[in-house]
Amino acid sequence: MTNQIELSGVNKYYGAYHALKNIDLTIRKGAFVALVGPSGCGKSTLLRALAGLESISEGNLVIAGDRMNNVPPRKRDLAMVFQSYALYPHMTVEENLTYSLRIRGTKKAEAKKAAEDVAAITGLSDLLHRYPRELSGGQRQRVAMSRAIIRNPKAFLFDEPLSNLDAALRVHMRKEIRALHDRLGATSVYVTHDQIEAMTMADHVVVMRQGVIEQQGQPLELYDRPVNRFVAGFIGSPAMNFIPATTGPDGKSLILDLGRPQTIGLDRTIPANRNLVVGLRPEHLTIAEDGKGLLEAPVALVESTGSTTFVTTATTPECVVVVNGRVPITGGQTVGLNFQQEHIHLFDAETDSRIE
Amino acid sequence: MTETNRNRLMLAIAIIMAAIYLFPLYWMYVTALKTGSEMFATPPSFWPSTAQWSTFAYVWESRNMGRYLWNSTLIAFGSVALIAVLGTGCAYVLARYRNRWVDVGLFLILMLQVLPASLMITPIFVGFSQVGLLDYPRFAVILAIAAKSMPFFVVLVRATFMAVPMELEEAALVDGNSRIGAFFNIVLPLARNGILVSAILIFMQAFGEFVYSKSMIQNIELQPASVGLNSFMGPNTSEWNNIMAYATMYVTPILAIFVLLQRRIVSGLTSGALK
Repeated sequence: MTNQIELSGVNKYYGAYHALKNIDLTIRKGAFVALVGPSGCGKSTLLRALAGLESISEGNLVIAGDRMNNVPPRKRDLAMVFQSYALYPHMTVEENLTYSLRIRGTKKAEAKKAAEDVAAITGLSDLLHRYPRELSGGQRQRVAMSRAIIRNPKAFLFDEPLSNLDAALRVHMRKEIRALHDRLGATSVYVTHDQIEAMTMADHVVVMRQGVIEQQGQPLELYDRPVNRFVAGFIGSPAMNFIPATTGPDGKSLILDLGRPQTIGLDRTIPANRNLVVGLRPEHLTIAEDGKGLLEAPVALVESTGSTTFVTTATTPECVVVVNGRVPITGGQTVGLNFQQEHIHLFDAETDSRIE
Repeated sequence: MTETNRNRLMLAIAIIMAAIYLFPLYWMYVTALKTGSEMFATPPSFWPSTAQWSTFAYVWESRNMGRYLWNSTLIAFGSVALIAVLGTGCAYVLARYRNRWVDVGLFLILMLQVLPASLMITPIFVGFSQVGLLDYPRFAVILAIAAKSMPFFVVLVRATFMAVPMELEEAALVDGNSRIGAFFNIVLPLARNGILVSAILIFMQAFGEFVYSKSMIQNIELQPASVGLNSFMGPNTSEWNNIMAYATMYVTPILAIFVLLQRRIVSGLTSGALK
């Protein structure tokens, strides 16, 4: 597989503000890469730097083998879908779709044909002569997508394209975008703050925070082996439970501080008397009868969605347990919590980085 | 007080205010149609007994109004063209860039707006006469009006440009257009209403401009209607009906434009013209 986009040592400064810090990122041809992180983490800035809407202060940006640092957006041959869709309000859907072709001097009949073909794929055929203001949110989203795919660019850039849609449509469009990506064999870079979107759509997820790439890799790799506490807490929903702990004198046990200390065994050996944070995902915890669990915890709250039940414990810090189906427990009761050794994540209390 | 009564009271107040505000206009039209003796009658009559339509033809001929109005139109169009070309670019830059120098620029622009024409005319006159611009007096007046009215235009049009989302331009850039191309293809069509409205307002201002024209255009052949009206009025003038007929012919076309376009003007000034 060849590399479609390569970033090496990319930095971006806005005056004194360091927006992107030493970004190294390689995107294979045909890959679907998600940039994910909380707002202000630099993911949109990175995307805009790819598009050429922001310049990069240091480092190299290579697209399809050519260095693109100072190349204007129009010569990069990328297509972008904006969060607000950025449809041209004074043009019909057809004119919106063919705009990029018309600029490049494509013949009218050819452009019209291309618009009809794309509209057939995205289900816009009946709407070609409408103006954007006459479309619903979902239809506008499709126009924005169609405008990107009409000219077969080197890569697609998506800037939170689904955040203006309602929940049901968002789930639907998620699948549709991924299907479209596969069908076109395109290279896509997708910015989102929603880790579920990133996990479900992408082959390669890049987690960013404060201008730094915290971790990148396959979605499940990030889920299974987060390199630090931030990634661990960001990936997965509901978020991972973090419990402060110290290792026992033998290095083979953990003393968890859940309001009162509770000791559990450990299958790994780590230095004694070290301060740690133990991470346990809510879906990896199971509820047992009082006295039959590795940990004991009083229950504060039981919420059921029908298919799953969320149990919140009355400990400090509180823990969330996700149980499939329904459980016959109520608030105030004390229950046992069980989990497998392989599901224990350990993080250094000071550096927050993962301990194996 | 009930809702309907309240509304009726508000309406009554609005009508009274409008009546006071529009009374001079009414008086102009009525006086233009009166005879000489009726004009000075006490108590004054609020409706002419026999309308004197012939006054208009007489004034048009005797004062050579066609020439005056032509000059006014020429000056107004010249000013609008100059302001629209220069001011649109200026407003766009001020709308899109945000830094200290832009703030300084905006402040200076608003400052210029504060200075009255009667104050500015002396330095402008001296400057123009030194570079020989007074040999082309109508062009000199166009320049002076452009300088005077540009801030107003720039501030209005800047607001229009700011209502055009930056993302539309960025989309055009990614779609393959240059910065200039995106401006002409995307931004300008979307800002068209705002620019048009501002240009109309400038046109109406320039059409009635007096101070610069009076000071810089000595040749009666080149004077606009505002100066013509002024020279019509001497210290001992008593032919008010003729003066009002002149004023009527001068003002009515502008009023007509305003009435015809008022809905667009109001909506153009209040909304970003984008939906």
